[in-house]
Amino acid sequence: MNWEIVLLFVAPVICSLPIAFYWVKEPGSDRARKLPMLSVFGLFISFVIAIHILLTYPNGTYTIPWLPEYNINFVFIFDYLSKYMGALTAFIAFMIGLYGLEYMKHDYRLGWYWFFFNMFTASMLLVVYSDNLLMLLIGWEGLGLASWGLIGHWFRDDDHLSYVGVVGRKVGPLKMYWPPSYGGWRAISTIRIGDMPMFFAVAAIYALTGNLNISQIHWGVLFTKIGLAGTVFLMLCFLMGPFTKSAQLPFSEWLMTAMTGPTTVSALLHSATMVAAGTYLFIRLSWYIHPWALHAVPGVSVLYYIVLLVGLFSALYGASVAIGCLERKVLLAASTMSSLGLMFGCAAASYWYGKLAVLIAFWYLMTHAFAKATLFLVAGHLIHATHDRFCCGDLNLAKKMKTAFIATIIATIALGGLPPLTAYWVKAGMDTVMHHIAETVGSLPLDLLLITSLLYSAFLAKFLSLNFWKGDKYHLHLHGEKLMPFAYACVVSMVFLLLYRILTGTDPLAETHLLEYGLDKDSFIVGLGVTGTYLFALVVPRIRALSPIGTFLGDRMYLPALNDFIVPSIGWAISKLIEYTHKAIDWFCHFGLPDGMLGISRRIRAIQVGYMRVYMKIALAFVMAAIVVSMLGWL
Amino acid sequence: MLDFSTVLALVILTVGAACSLKDVRISLATSLLALAIVLAAAVSTPQLFMYVLLVIAIGVLTVFSMSVKENQMSGIDYALVALITVITVYVAYTSDIAFVLASFVIASVPTYALIFVSTDGKPPHVDVAIKYIAFMVLATVLFIIGTLLLVYSSSVKDTALYTLGFVMLILGLGMEVGCAPMHEWVPDVFSAADPLPLSVIASITKIVPFIAAYKILLLTSLPQLSNLTLFVAFIAVISMFTGNIGALTAKETGRILAYSTVANMGYIIATLAVITSKNFLYLAFAGALLQLIVNAFGKASFFASIKTDGCSRPLMYVLALSFIGLPPLMGFWSKFFILTSLVGAGLVWLAFLLIVNSAISIPYYLRIARNLAKDTVPGKVTAIALVASAAMLITVLPPNWFINIAKMVIGGV
Repeated sequence: MNWEIVLLFVAPVICSLPIAFYWVKEPGSDRARKLPMLSVFGLFISFVIAIHILLTYPNGTYTIPWLPEYNINFVFIFDYLSKYMGALTAFIAFMIGLYGLEYMKHDYRLGWYWFFFNMFTASMLLVVYSDNLLMLLIGWEGLGLASWGLIGHWFRDDDHLSYVGVVGRKVGPLKMYWPPSYGGWRAISTIRIGDMPMFFAVAAIYALTGNLNISQIHWGVLFTKIGLAGTVFLMLCFLMGPFTKSAQLPFSEWLMTAMTGPTTVSALLHSATMVAAGTYLFIRLSWYIHPWALHAVPGVSVLYYIVLLVGLFSALYGASVAIGCLERKVLLAASTMSSLGLMFGCAAASYWYGKLAVLIAFWYLMTHAFAKATLFLVAGHLIHATHDRFCCGDLNLAKKMKTAFIATIIATIALGGLPPLTAYWVKAGMDTVMHHIAETVGSLPLDLLLITSLLYSAFLAKFLSLNFWKGDKYHLHLHGEKLMPFAYACVVSMVFLLLYRILTGTDPLAETHLLEYGLDKDSFIVGLGVTGTYLFALVVPRIRALSPIGTFLGDRMYLPALNDFIVPSIGWAISKLIEYTHKAIDWFCHFGLPDGMLGISRRIRAIQVGYMRVYMKIALAFVMAAIVVSMLGWL
Repeated sequence: MLDFSTVLALVILTVGAACSLKDVRISLATSLLALAIVLAAAVSTPQLFMYVLLVIAIGVLTVFSMSVKENQMSGIDYALVALITVITVYVAYTSDIAFVLASFVIASVPTYALIFVSTDGKPPHVDVAIKYIAFMVLATVLFIIGTLLLVYSSSVKDTALYTLGFVMLILGLGMEVGCAPMHEWVPDVFSAADPLPLSVIASITKIVPFIAAYKILLLTSLPQLSNLTLFVAFIAVISMFTGNIGALTAKETGRILAYSTVANMGYIIATLAVITSKNFLYLAFAGALLQLIVNAFGKASFFASIKTDGCSRPLMYVLALSFIGLPPLMGFWSKFFILTSLVGAGLVWLAFLLIVNSAISIPYYLRIARNLAKDTVPGKVTAIALVASAAMLITVLPPNWFINIAKMVIGGV
């Protein structure tokens, strides 16, 4: 058990070291180009172990001593969440690894790519399986570092195919295009903003409870101890990490420009790692905080209401942006943000609805992961085939890329919530949850969810239609790829596995309920509505008359201004302030002080006129003044 | 024992001065003999021996500095310097206010004659001498009246009169040693008079007034005293700033030394603000006394060096660095004692201003050293500077022993 667990995290990293070092020695040589196989083999090892854990390990924690005297250890947790999530992560990473063998074949920096790719996977697995918050932070930071490395992979900014936005386009002072180097920087800088308060929150949790194991901390006791304001402040600080990692409002911009990385990276980043880490952590926390049992504790309701609204508004924002977006990967990125928002919102609803809401959020996470990974992999293939980042393609293309076409149809239907595929049952669960909590928190969450769902299926249909049916002209450059179609075919088939489990009710926790919700009349009406918008968008993917609105949405409602204008302006203002302070100090040291001293010194020496009458006048005046003052005591 | 030897020394000095009309060397010999007798007598009080030794060393240095060049009163001047030295030793032993006052006068009056000294047949510097004497007389009068008021008011517990006495005493003391804003005579005298008598006036004569002031204030203290220390602090701050800032633009070495004296007297008079703090009084006085000794050694050597247009480079820098307060030189410890006592007595702001002033003083002390530095040539002045520099180095180990001496000098009261 011991070695297996260690191998799970270490194997991918170890196996990526040969290419990482060999590429430095002989970049681009034939021998070096064979080494990525080894990296993928490392991912395969992790995959096998994760499946083994899923199938055979008993639920519980497994501890490897680290700092036992401080009650800090490597604590691995095997429960419903981590087993499924681990298997999902390892599977998708392995599949994308296979895809990457072909996709990245001609790249100029394979050592860098594979090292960070495998480190990305290992970090995510560490986050998934750790119960200890400090150990989790190691994985968490690994994710941040690897995302920086991978998003900025094409750091030379020499290929416009890797940019985001129309190159050269400007709106007011804002440049509406972003190169890879900038994307990488944006990712790491945004994430750091969230990680900083998260570190302090983890430290505070340790200081207050003496324990860092999520499943062992008595959250209710902790929250009661620090009161309403304390709870909200502490947990919001903590959640700044998940919010920035999962690109919730207003930290979403980095996710959009993360599309400057290789598509394999986008696929991994958007399905099973990185952004999923944020929601996964919140789901895991809620699973053990038991918020539904803490109604007597002040602050928890405020906290969960905030998360609910942040999640659902992010979901609506993401869906709206995706509606206006014409760039393949950016459209999918916005849709990811929307999905993550739904996960946050649904998990937060557990405060009012109970544990089942957390479970539904988790099932949505899984469904989304498989479908979104498929869509990204297809998008990557399309970009290769058409040499275009923007949606383009027609039925002829669909004929030539049958696998991609079919995978896209399945993924969009399965993710959009059209009955009877996977997401329909999960979304039905969400509808029920939001409907239920409307009694206590009002109908706003339900409304947001419904609008988001309608928009969601619409832009998925738009993606399908603009790429395989009614899109612009294109030039096709097929190279007879085999591995890439195989990979996304495998990934998309997983949505059927999930569907199978839902319909047969083989999972003791979730499926039976999901089946119940899906068979509800209201859910079915929503399903019909979603199907309607899907079909409409499929036939009418673009409405030219509305293109100003589309541009506004596609420009992400000018939220880039926050990252590219407002925050830098504040930074500039601070640096100007510092500059002027420096100048003032310099002036004071070089001129103010010496000149002042010189002046005073001359004044002092000006007394020495040489006449004794002057001296005596001064001295006696002082003597007399002092004596007079001293005699005031007589009064 | 000491009383007897003091009288003996005075007799020997008088005889020697008389004989110097015959031969100058007789007076030099008798002066040294008198100092030796006093030193020998001090062996009987080992607690104070180091103090006596340091004072005698300064005395011998100043006697030699007077002998650097022949002047119109050669012979008499040695005796006068030796007389000041003997009194400086004696004042530490007495606790009688009358004797303390007498010491104050005796240590001051010989300088009225010395200020007229001129060499190479030049006419005496009468104008600066008049300025000097006028200020000194006024200072002495203020000091004596202040003392009398203090003695009387402390016996009848008249606080108003006590305040007046205190203020007059401090004014007299300040004027005597050259504290701002009564310092006007100092730059003129120090830049215009002959450097040789200045090596006496600027150095050893500053010691007695402070010891006298401390003794008188401690003997006549009333609870009222603690309210009056702010006045002392006020004069100290004005003095420090006037001296240090004034020295920054002064170019003549004598003038720089004049402002340096004003600043140093500021540091020293600041310690009188601690006089009502039982725990830090002795530390404060130790700082004051050590600073006076540093000042005496340094100023004697610098003025003697001015006379010969410079002196050995390393020695000049050692003395300058000691004035700046570089550890482990004596000048560091004196300032350290003063600062510690000020902080301990709760006068942190005054300590802070003192540190600021120490920083301001760095450039002009280095300027003095640069002005005077030249290659080492064996000679009388080099020997004087060498002894003074060696004295600055006796505090390589922290001079805790000096605090006990300080305690004896005023605690013997």
